[in-house]
Amino acid sequence: MPDHAEDEAKYYDDPEWADIEPIQQADQGPNPLAAIAYTDEYAEAMAYLRTVMARDEKSERVLRLTKDVIEMNPAHYTVWLYRAQVLFATHADLHKELEWLNETASQYQKNYQIWHHRQLIVSRLCPDPASSAATRGPPFPGAGIDVDSLVAKETSFVASMFDKDAKNYHVWSYRQWLVRHFGLWDKGELEFTEASIEKDVRNNSAWNHRWYVVNGKEGSEGVKEEKVREREIAFTKRQIRLAPQNQSPWNYLRGILRKANLRFSTVQDFCIEFADLSKPEGDDVFSSHALDLLADIYAVDEGRNEQAKRCLLLLKDKYDPIRANYWQYRLEMLDKEMGSGIDSHLPEHETRNLTSAVSV
Amino acid sequence: MSCTYSSASVLSSPDTPPGLDKKRHTRYWLRCLRTHLPSAYIPNDSNRMTLAFFTISALDLLSSLVPNTTPEERAAYIDWIYSCQIPSGGFRASPSHDLSAVKDGSAQWDPANVPATYFALATLLILGDDLNRVRRKETLKWLRCMQRDDGSFGETLVNGKIEGGMDTRFGYCATCVRYILRGKREGPDPTSEEQDTDVDALVECLRKAETYDGGMSEMPFHEAHAGFTYCAIAALHFIDRFPWPIRSQPSEGQRAFNKMPLRKEGIVSTTSSEQQGGIKTRGLTSPDLTIHWLASRLTATISSEDEEDTYADETDTPETCHDAHSFVHTANFPTSMGETSEKSRPTSHFALDWVGFNGRCNKVADTCYAFWVGAGLTLMNASRVIHPTPVRRYLLEQTAHIVGGFGKLPGDPPDVYHSYLGLAALSLLETAAQAAHESPREGRDKPVEERELKALDACMCVSIEAKSRLYAIWQRWGVHDGKDWDGGG
Repeated sequence: MPDHAEDEAKYYDDPEWADIEPIQQADQGPNPLAAIAYTDEYAEAMAYLRTVMARDEKSERVLRLTKDVIEMNPAHYTVWLYRAQVLFATHADLHKELEWLNETASQYQKNYQIWHHRQLIVSRLCPDPASSAATRGPPFPGAGIDVDSLVAKETSFVASMFDKDAKNYHVWSYRQWLVRHFGLWDKGELEFTEASIEKDVRNNSAWNHRWYVVNGKEGSEGVKEEKVREREIAFTKRQIRLAPQNQSPWNYLRGILRKANLRFSTVQDFCIEFADLSKPEGDDVFSSHALDLLADIYAVDEGRNEQAKRCLLLLKDKYDPIRANYWQYRLEMLDKEMGSGIDSHLPEHETRNLTSAVSV
Repeated sequence: MSCTYSSASVLSSPDTPPGLDKKRHTRYWLRCLRTHLPSAYIPNDSNRMTLAFFTISALDLLSSLVPNTTPEERAAYIDWIYSCQIPSGGFRASPSHDLSAVKDGSAQWDPANVPATYFALATLLILGDDLNRVRRKETLKWLRCMQRDDGSFGETLVNGKIEGGMDTRFGYCATCVRYILRGKREGPDPTSEEQDTDVDALVECLRKAETYDGGMSEMPFHEAHAGFTYCAIAALHFIDRFPWPIRSQPSEGQRAFNKMPLRKEGIVSTTSSEQQGGIKTRGLTSPDLTIHWLASRLTATISSEDEEDTYADETDTPETCHDAHSFVHTANFPTSMGETSEKSRPTSHFALDWVGFNGRCNKVADTCYAFWVGAGLTLMNASRVIHPTPVRRYLLEQTAHIVGGFGKLPGDPPDVYHSYLGLAALSLLETAAQAAHESPREGRDKPVEERELKALDACMCVSIEAKSRLYAIWQRWGVHDGKDWDGGG
């Protein structure tokens, strides 16, 4: 165990680093902006990092130094790139790197660079999963790995991150990449989204991931295909019945109708289950989102403009007063432009080929 | 105040939210300016230019910069920013990355950074610098190298490779740099002779990041997020590719442009016709749905405890779903437990005294989204869809801190990021409130001394006063042709 003094001076009295002249930070002028009270430990590690970076040194000691800096400043935008190059140049054990990343990611959950780095390492371990052979990769420890076990490790690590925060944006983004890179589309991913939604029906990230799994595969028709659409609509309706005031599945349902170019009126009866305005004893509403969708259904139909207005008024005055100004704005819109639901069909919107854009 | 108010009655109601304690916030920011930020900021050491921008711009919004600093100090701040300029164009994000002192060393690990370049230029404008020392030609050249084939921008260029995420934050910062240095006009820049970035490709890239629910994400298929949505909307403004004002009765032709399909589908003719002044693809395929998505970010779930209530619950009650507090359908409980819990709930409604914004669907409110969403709506010419008073009260009574500044959630200690965006949001709310009471332009034009905070430019996120200094700079550079100018009060 090093004592405290050694802890603070890791490099300058270490013979291994004796050849390095640390570059002290030059904050120009008497009035630097956003000056930070650096700890001695951080200032020293950064001074050595600047020197080895300027020399572009790629050695094992640099791996230790970059790790040290990252653990203090994980948002350093070049140290990760530098470390990746050093890892590859020194043929370091990339599985060990992943293990270290597991700890670091748990510590810095909001950091983006960690996930980009992880993607880089996993791609290096398995550049082309389709040929199921990392054997074509360069010779380094970890070459010839078992793709299935790598995938299992990655998905289980991701799942453990979701236990900490089920809505972590970076982790869901990484999960999407795993699905794309390893072609996991039909390997239990849909069931994974179902389980995530079952855990928390209001987890919008899980709903978004489901949209990706169903619609994101290149060349896939997604919900434009009738069988898929029916399955998704049925699933979504089940979830809405469980929690009718949950925005996520209503957005998902709207998304399906838009993408499949279906008239919204196809779900009119379903909406009425949650917002029946026809009862003589008064309106029976228990989902503002149903009312919202009904307003759109009625708005595109000139004959029912008054009904659309009634939905918007109920939202404004009674069922969604937090957005009263918004519903007022919609009422004004309705007066100005007949037939202007916010989703009056935009068929061309759906001709976009989204998958072709993904090239990570 | 009943929660079943109508917007008209609320807008004219006399409920007056607390005032902003300008002295306290000024003290917070002067501390950030004059003393070292605590070591807790070490994980932000690589974003010092961003922190610098927040500090200087916050003091500017508070009208506290000039009264509390000497011309010499401001000149020194300007010098510090220029010390971060890279000779080959752009700025580095922190002096801790500076390798320029090494004579024979390699500069590849000390690259210019796209967000840092935007923050540096914006801070220089606020400090009243004339941008004379900016390596304009080099920066424009470098900016082109930062754009990928798919239209997106990266963060840094290392060894000829564009690094950093593909997300809209970099697109936003890049278009702002382009705007500051050469205005909105497309094509080769006549004064520097530098080629333009690929504006069409960026528009396509932004359109692809639209999500099924009307928001925008980091890249195709990622979850809609208010920060990325703002960045995309603002970027479209900087490149003059925002849809025609959707509520100003656009002609049929303009409507068609707004909904124009992507070039790749082969329906719209390619760049050649665009260069002839013809059709240009515009961003946002469904502006109305985007406004719907932004308005849906309003939430009364403002603390983590509120959020926990909504976790894994079997059905909706006023307690589990704070955004739907005015009704509950009692006949629909699937279990007796749910029914019991419903019976024991208090009969009063959640008051809508404090209303915040979340960044994603079903998340807790957070100070910074009052800016990301509020500014997004402002840029969509739809700031009237929110009622400013409860949002203002949320910021001033819930997330403002006793020592000045704002935290992320109620009770959180202040940090530079949330403290700046809290002020920026308040400035926009002030403008919106004035616009609601008075004529649409008066809020914006109101003299500084009558406003609490200086009016903010929602696109550049600096005071309109600071942005307006660009006018003279453009004239000097010869890039201003009158047509580009869209701000400056």
